[in-house]
Amino acid sequence: MSVEEEIKEIVAGIVHVDKSILTREGSLRKDIKADSLDIVQALVAVEDKFDIEIPDEEAQKFQNFGDFVDYVERRVAEKEKV
Amino acid sequence: MPLKGKLTLVTGSGRGIGRAIALKLASQGSDIIVNFFRRREAAEKTAKDIEALGVKAEVIRANVGDPAKLDEMFDTIATKFGHLDILINNAASGVGRSVLDVDIKAWDWTMNINARAFLLCAQRAAKLMEGRGGKMVSITSLGSSFVLPTYAVVGISKAALEALTRYLAIELAPKGICVNAVAASAVETEALKFYIREGLMKDIRQATPAGRMVIPEDVANVVAFLCSEEAFMIRGQTIIVDGGTSVALFMAAGKEER
Ligand SMILES: NC(=O)c1ccc[n+]([C@@H]2O[C@H](COP(=O)([O-])OP(=O)(O)OC[C@H]3O[C@@H](n4cnc5c(N)ncnc54)[C@H](OP(=O)(O)O)[C@@H]3O)[C@@H](O)[C@H]2O)c1
Repeated sequence: MSVEEEIKEIVAGIVHVDKSILTREGSLRKDIKADSLDIVQALVAVEDKFDIEIPDEEAQKFQNFGDFVDYVERRVAEKEKV
Repeated sequence: MPLKGKLTLVTGSGRGIGRAIALKLASQGSDIIVNFFRRREAAEKTAKDIEALGVKAEVIRANVGDPAKLDEMFDTIATKFGHLDILINNAASGVGRSVLDVDIKAWDWTMNINARAFLLCAQRAAKLMEGRGGKMVSITSLGSSFVLPTYAVVGISKAALEALTRYLAIELAPKGICVNAVAASAVETEALKFYIREGLMKDIRQATPAGRMVIPEDVANVVAFLCSEEAFMIRGQTIIVDGGTSVALFMAAGKEER
C-alpha cells in the first residue's frame, strides 16, 4: 500500500468516514469535519505507523490533505536514506 | 540553591505553566528533564533557557497518554541518570464539550493524559526515588471541584488526579516521598488567550479578589515551595492558587453595589 493509501486508511478509521471522500485538495477540518481531537489522533497514529515525528509547528502549515501526505512521504524517504 | 544536584522531570514543560515551573526549579539549581508532546521547537527553547541558568536540561518527547511511550521515557531516564528526585505532573489535554457531548474517545483521551499518566509516572518515578526520597506535585484546576463551562471531562480528570494525589501521598510517605497538588484558576498563558475571548479574560480578572489573573509564575512559586524541605509536613493536599476567586462567591456579581 502507498503512503497515501495508508494515511487515508488511518484518517478514515479515526474520523469514521469512507476513505474515498479523502482527496488531496480536501481539508480535514472543513471537508470531512474532523475536530481537533481527530486531527491530533490522526497525526499520532501516522507518526506511530511510519516511526516519524510531525511537530505541531509543521502540521500547522498543512493547507490540505495533500500537504500532509507530501510531508509524511518526505520524512519516510529521509528515514530510508539514513 | 536549595535544589542543587537534584533531577526533576516536568511533563509538558515546553510551554505554558510547565515551562514556568521548569525554569523556577532550574533557577533553584535542579537539572531538568523537559518532556513535550507536539511542540519540539518550544521544548528546545525551554531547554536552552534552562541551560542558561547554569544547570543541565534533557529534552524527551513522549505522549504521556500512551503507556508504551511513557515507559520509553522512564527507561531513558533510568539508563541515563538512574534516579529522579522530583516529578512534576503538569501535562494535560482535553476536549471542551458539555457533559452530554462527551463521547468515549474524548473521555479516554482526556482521562489517559490527565489522570492515568500520573498513576503510571508515579509508579515509575517511585522506583527511581527508592532510598533517596523525593517530591511529586501535580497541576490541577478549580474545575475539579467547581463547574466550569465545557470543562466537564477535564474537570473530572482533575478530580481523579487530586484523589490519586491523596492515595499516593499516604502510600509513598514511608518512602520519604511527599505528594501534593496545586490547583489554579484560569492562568494567563498563550494557550488560554488563544481559546477564550478577551471579554471573558476581563471578567475573570474582575472576579479575582487579588486584582489580576494568575500567571504561570504564581503556580511555579507554590510548586517550588512544595518541593522544598519547608513543606515536608504537607502531604496529599491540593493547594489552591486563584487570587481568592473560589472563596469569593458572587463577588463579581455584586461589584456595582459596593
Ligand atoms: N492555563 C490555565 O488556565 C490552567 C488553569 C488551571 C490548571 N491548568 C493546568 O496546568 C497545566 C499546564 O497547563 P497550560 O495552560 O500550561 O497548558 P498548555 O499551554 O495547553 O500546554 C499543555 C502542555 O502539556 C503538554 N502536553 C499535552 N498533552 C501531552 C501529552 N499527551 N504528553 C505529553 N505532554 C503533553 C504540551 O506539550 P506540547 O506543547 O509539546 O504538545 C504542553 O507543554 C495543565 O495540567 C492544566 O490543566 C491550566
